[in-house]
Amino acid sequence: MDVSQYLEIFIDETKEHLQSLNEQLLILEKEPDNTDTINEIFRAAHSLKGMAGTMGYKRMQRLTHDMENVFSEIRNGKMSVSAHLVDVLFQGLDALEGYLAQIQENANEGEEDNEEIIQALNNILEEGLGGGNQTKPAASAETKTEIKAEAVHIAETQSNGLEKYKDFVFADYERHAIEKAFEEKQNVFGLTVSIVETCLLKAARAFLVFKALEEMGEIIKSVPDVQDIEDEKFENDFSLVLLTKCSYDEVRNAVLNVSEVKDLAMGTIELEKEEEEKKEQQADSNQSPAQSAAVQAKKEKNAAAAAKQAAKPVVNRSVRVDIEKLDVLMNLVSELIIAKNGLVSIGASEGDNKNYSGFNEQIEYLERVTTNLHESVMKVRMMPIESVVNKFPRMIRDLTKKLNKNMELYMSGEDTELDRTVIDEIGDPLMHLLRNAADHGLESNAERVAMGKPEVGSIFLNAYQDGNNVVIEVKDDGRGIDVKKVKAKALEKGTISHEQAESMTDQDVIELLFRPSFSTAEKISDVSGRGVGLDVVKNKIEGLGGDIECRSVLGEGSKFIIRLPLTLAIIQALMVELGAEKYAIPLGSIQTIEDIPSEDIKYVQTREVINLRGKVIPLIRLGDILDVEPIEKEDTNLTVVIVAKGDKLAGLVVDNLIGQQEIVIKSIGKYINNNKIISGATILGDGEVALIIDANILV
Amino acid sequence: MGENTRVTSGEGKQYIVVGLGTEQYGIDIQFIDNIVRMQRITRVPKAQSYFKGVINLRGEIIPVMSMRLKFGLAADEYTNATRIIIIKLEPQSAIGIIVDEVKEVVMLSEDVIEKPNYDSNDEKISYLSGIGKHSGNLISLLNIAAVIIEKEAI
Repeated sequence: MDVSQYLEIFIDETKEHLQSLNEQLLILEKEPDNTDTINEIFRAAHSLKGMAGTMGYKRMQRLTHDMENVFSEIRNGKMSVSAHLVDVLFQGLDALEGYLAQIQENANEGEEDNEEIIQALNNILEEGLGGGNQTKPAASAETKTEIKAEAVHIAETQSNGLEKYKDFVFADYERHAIEKAFEEKQNVFGLTVSIVETCLLKAARAFLVFKALEEMGEIIKSVPDVQDIEDEKFENDFSLVLLTKCSYDEVRNAVLNVSEVKDLAMGTIELEKEEEEKKEQQADSNQSPAQSAAVQAKKEKNAAAAAKQAAKPVVNRSVRVDIEKLDVLMNLVSELIIAKNGLVSIGASEGDNKNYSGFNEQIEYLERVTTNLHESVMKVRMMPIESVVNKFPRMIRDLTKKLNKNMELYMSGEDTELDRTVIDEIGDPLMHLLRNAADHGLESNAERVAMGKPEVGSIFLNAYQDGNNVVIEVKDDGRGIDVKKVKAKALEKGTISHEQAESMTDQDVIELLFRPSFSTAEKISDVSGRGVGLDVVKNKIEGLGGDIECRSVLGEGSKFIIRLPLTLAIIQALMVELGAEKYAIPLGSIQTIEDIPSEDIKYVQTREVINLRGKVIPLIRLGDILDVEPIEKEDTNLTVVIVAKGDKLAGLVVDNLIGQQEIVIKSIGKYINNNKIISGATILGDGEVALIIDANILV
Repeated sequence: MGENTRVTSGEGKQYIVVGLGTEQYGIDIQFIDNIVRMQRITRVPKAQSYFKGVINLRGEIIPVMSMRLKFGLAADEYTNATRIIIIKLEPQSAIGIIVDEVKEVVMLSEDVIEKPNYDSNDEKISYLSGIGKHSGNLISLLNIAAVIIEKEAI
């Protein structure tokens, strides 16, 4: 065993602790007297330090240690929370994140010492306590006495059976080793370590305890034995005997530094006393069969628990899955097998009595099962959006300082669930939009006051589910987009012509901001307050199968609305024929299907349009756009599929409709360049490939 | 995958020799995932001219390009010997290449391979990684990454 196999756990937990530190620090900044928060921070920092130490990351340990000192003083009420202090602490957290990133990359914490931050922390300590050079030792002395106090506390509670090490029966060779240790003036400690019940990886914890102790001396005995501990075959505690030259306190601290250690009972082992106990032990042995049966039962329970924990993987690209969801999956798979058997038995019944209604019934059953299976698998892939957005409050806080604007971020719907792949990708675009809102959207505080708005700007991040879509809104109450300025700029740059400018609605003008040519313009952010990389955001979101739109009212603020599909891999689609080729159009973008007599086609600026129930809709001849070889058709009527993107409609002319079908989306690879009209491909029942048309590009 | 390890441990590299018109080309065997017979290709509109479309290979969608068109030769005539060579440069993205025929597998050591003269004006030279000599024949060894990955802007 070596430490590397615990690296994943370490990284996971460090991330969690850092996130919690970030969140709690934000709270602390607002409520400096919240003792719960301070305790929580202290606990997280302490665990971090311990974990970094055991994994051998000395620099990380040192930095956390110094941060912990500061937290400790705050907790003891000797220091107050100042803005400067929180700044430095945040810097410290960033530095820790830096270490973590390094470790994730190559299992090495890197060379950066972050002396400045450590120095700043120590300065704060000195100032805060008003003492001179003595402050630091005093601080560490403080923590030591605390631990000692804890030790006393534990000593008092020890009577309730935590001193299992006292029940040790030593074999001769072990007695020998202990005697020898006494001769060499080594300390012989018995320890019983108990681990928090909720701990998920007890074996890992135990291993860290062992590793810490083995650095100090020699472990000559453990109950249960090492193999069982490694296999997690133990209840919440284990006992061991350590031969060491280190002092009581050193050993104690080393063990308590391992996170999720609940309690430690520890004492010096004396052999004489031990012998008496041995006799007692023998007297007790009558009871033991019953006990061991109980232990056995507990062990089994443990194994079951371990199986549950197996659902929590530790590797990078993984999803934590609720065991209930897995049960549902398992049930569905067994139903699938039943359905298959039903079909087999129908196939086996020979001759005339082939039961076609039974066959159809089975097909329907199969369909129901596969639909449910699809839904369940998708649920397994779903994750709450929280994991992405919980870093934003911190970002806004930093922006507040950097831009010197007071602003507040309000979030809602953090529990909205999205597909895992979307979650991974959505972070950057959202960050971009929030930064834009903070930087360009919100006015400076003075401007706001002058305009009669509340001084503190507000940014809203709302997520909610809407039918088959998830909607994420980024809203600010800032100055909004000045349509006239954008239009002027677009004219100046030649993006649009004067005629176009005349006929453009305000919404059309706002859409211009998503054009690539716009975002690259340097000055646009001064003019409109928007436009930094919005095309990148748009691309990313469209790559995920979603779309983005912007609403803005001058002087009142703007709102970006991102719409993402709930599921990515499987969709409902309308299959159509163009010439001899088959294509799929996602049902989500289809409004209606119309039969249009060809004489109803009108021309506007040489483009074909139809007037459908009072709306003028441009016609797109799909066959021409996709270079399909035309087939001769006598029909006087056209089959038109009306697709929508936001408020815009377009009519796609197709040769034939095949029907609605559930299709599995597959990528056509990155090598083919196809102007985005084709968003993917799917395999039909007969093995043929049909391409999927992205109607959003055509509208 | 067995070949993969053998290639690196041997004294040379293994190449699959394919015929294209009158010439012979060699493809480093470590990039080859599979060789399949010609099958129905679904056309992809608006793709580069040398991409014939996509095929369904056991549930995977794989784009297929024509070597002939890429190299500026006459269009393919599919015969019984026509094969699609499935290349995998990266695990998640396979691509198929249509060749007239697959001839043999040869082992070429470094000393029978000559480097091509570099000429920055000739795009096609970048498609070659060397010329191999094998039993009196010359085999143009393909730099498969350069062939597959798009350079010219469309």
